[in-house]
Amino acid sequence: MKGRLVASLAIASAALIAAAGCGSSGNSGSSSTTLTLFGADYGTGPANSTTKYWDAIASAFHKANPGITVNVQTVNWTDFPTKVQTLVQNKQFPDILEGDTAPQFAQSHLLYKSSDVLSASVIGDIMPKFLKDTAYQGTPYGIPFTTSTRALYYNKKIFAAAGISSPPTTWAQLQADAAKIKGKGYIGYGLPLGSEEAQAEALMWFLGNGGGYLTSSGTYAINSAANMQSLQFLSQLVKAGDTQPSPGTTDRKDVWAQFAQGKIGMVGGQPALIPIIQQAGVLTPSDYTTANFPGRNGPLASTLGVHDDIVAFNSGGHQAAIKKFLDFVYQNKYQLQFAGEYGLLPATQSAASAMSANPTFSAFFKNIPLSVNYPSNTNWTTVENQIKTTLGQAITGNPQQILNAIQHTALSGG
Amino acid sequence: MSDSTAVKETAGEPAASPGPARRRGPAGRVRRRLGPLPWIAPSLILIAVVVLWPIVTMIQTSTQNITPIGVTIGSAGAQNYTTLFHDPNLPGILVRTVLWVTAVVGITMLLSLGLAQLFNQRFPGRRVARWALIAPWAASVMMTALIFRWMLLPDNGVINVFLHQLGLVQFNSNESSWLGRPDSALAWMIGVAVFVSLPFTTYTVLAGLQAIPGELFEAARVDGASRWRSYRSITLPLLRPAFLVALLINVMNVFNSFPIIWEMTRGGPGYATNTTTVFMYNLKQSFIGEAAAMSVVNFTLIIVVVLFFLRVSRWNRREAR
Repeated sequence: MKGRLVASLAIASAALIAAAGCGSSGNSGSSSTTLTLFGADYGTGPANSTTKYWDAIASAFHKANPGITVNVQTVNWTDFPTKVQTLVQNKQFPDILEGDTAPQFAQSHLLYKSSDVLSASVIGDIMPKFLKDTAYQGTPYGIPFTTSTRALYYNKKIFAAAGISSPPTTWAQLQADAAKIKGKGYIGYGLPLGSEEAQAEALMWFLGNGGGYLTSSGTYAINSAANMQSLQFLSQLVKAGDTQPSPGTTDRKDVWAQFAQGKIGMVGGQPALIPIIQQAGVLTPSDYTTANFPGRNGPLASTLGVHDDIVAFNSGGHQAAIKKFLDFVYQNKYQLQFAGEYGLLPATQSAASAMSANPTFSAFFKNIPLSVNYPSNTNWTTVENQIKTTLGQAITGNPQQILNAIQHTALSGG
Repeated sequence: MSDSTAVKETAGEPAASPGPARRRGPAGRVRRRLGPLPWIAPSLILIAVVVLWPIVTMIQTSTQNITPIGVTIGSAGAQNYTTLFHDPNLPGILVRTVLWVTAVVGITMLLSLGLAQLFNQRFPGRRVARWALIAPWAASVMMTALIFRWMLLPDNGVINVFLHQLGLVQFNSNESSWLGRPDSALAWMIGVAVFVSLPFTTYTVLAGLQAIPGELFEAARVDGASRWRSYRSITLPLLRPAFLVALLINVMNVFNSFPIIWEMTRGGPGYATNTTTVFMYNLKQSFIGEAAAMSVVNFTLIIVVVLFFLRVSRWNRREAR
């Protein structure tokens, strides 16, 4: 019985594979082409799943171009890296991938150049700072799709209760304010160094001391003295009880949720925190605001800018169809719809200028020209993973040893 | 395997081949040998596809050089194993894995012996109590782990709220962050693992208890044996087969256990609550080949443990005769 089941499953899957093969081997000149789009899900549940966003675009596009069908699949951020890894390992490349894309794709010759799959006019509209960042050996292989920058969120109500009149601009002030807030029974500063996004939180503190992941010439400098000092400051901040306990196992989503519930005085954030605050329904727009992130001796001159990109895989040979579709996707209305839905910033300059008048987002737009991006070195993903897993331990353990180990990984290979 | 087919062949011979001796030619023998094939082929195929093939792929992967994004570059020889064995985190993780398996299985077996004894008594509501015992087993392990994590949240987890009301911990303090400190996190996770392992183990031991004939105890009582004496000399020896099965299955389950640790701490902070199984998954994010090497090591370890147990249990059976 089981055997027969296996046999029929085998036949069924063989049929599926054959069918899929037919689908992807159809050349773009013939009457029908099917594109596959695999993307990250920015939503918080089925109601605002990013699949809906893409499906709407895909069906509008299909109406205008009946010859091309786009199949959409999205997966939540937690499973996204694993899922992409599996797809690539099994050579089931999607035509279009949106989300966290690795420079290794370009290195392994899996991608079309950005200019092959997007019209020159649209490429010219992408914010150059981010587009440049997707380059491998000088040529852009990715197309920034959505962006964000960071700032310090603070709860004005808690600040008033603790007798704090203005947001901190230096680390010392931040610690003093956090201590006052703690005195009122709230958490002073929410410090997420758990595996979700330790690399972002840490970079904000590294930048505050003139450190970072790279030297100005682009080589890794993760175990620099400046970075060490940042971690030492954080370590005593935690020891003093001015943060939530156990930052090494706290994820960004945890502290964001607590900030939205009005339990944390200060937290590092980006525009995506706004919809979470609105959903929680505890804080009104006048209860919180943002300021530049404090540094060791003054507010940060530069902040972290993140961009999620679209890349097009060349294995399906659908260059013309992909180009048609992506030109359609990068219309102003879709860029604005995405930014509005998920509280992120657009990637095109025209959408940005249409949106920068919005008071909620203006502070974040101001930060774009000043932003520092993650390294675009080919082994960054590996380094990033190690930072995510181990950096949190620097707070309780030996920071120098942990930074040295990450630097060692960074310099070996890639 | 071969024994039982041989038995079937000889048993089936008179009925299946009443004809003359010409059937005894070499061709006939081959045909008779292949006779059962259509019946066992489906299971053989199933084993080959579902069990053997993944093992082969796993071993193959462990010798390949694979980039973090999943592109296979070529052969890595033994490089993945060398890197794995030189990983500074590995010794600690191995020690922790041994601790994890011994603690969880040991506590589970001890508690189950007691629980099974209890459930073997007659008392009002026994049926309901036996059903209730299934609950931790029936619930998804991931769900159980997640709920325990929520109960341990530093500011509003129900366990911390309770301890706070007793005046034992402060919210958002280091003490209230049970899962943030490696030692207390491990202790809690061992507790959860015991909780989800108890039902199966108790039921297995209970089945063993019910199989012991009552007359033995009666005879012991007539001979004037104390309760403790009859437990030691009758219950425990006769429980041995059930006990060993439960032990073996638990060792394998707990060794391979992933969802509890993953849901409660993700193996963190750092690698401080990783077992080898969780470590394998963590490695996979960047080092696919090395993760496969870890899988092979895990697989070997578990095979060694199973072989050891099988040996011990056979030795026991011989002694029982």
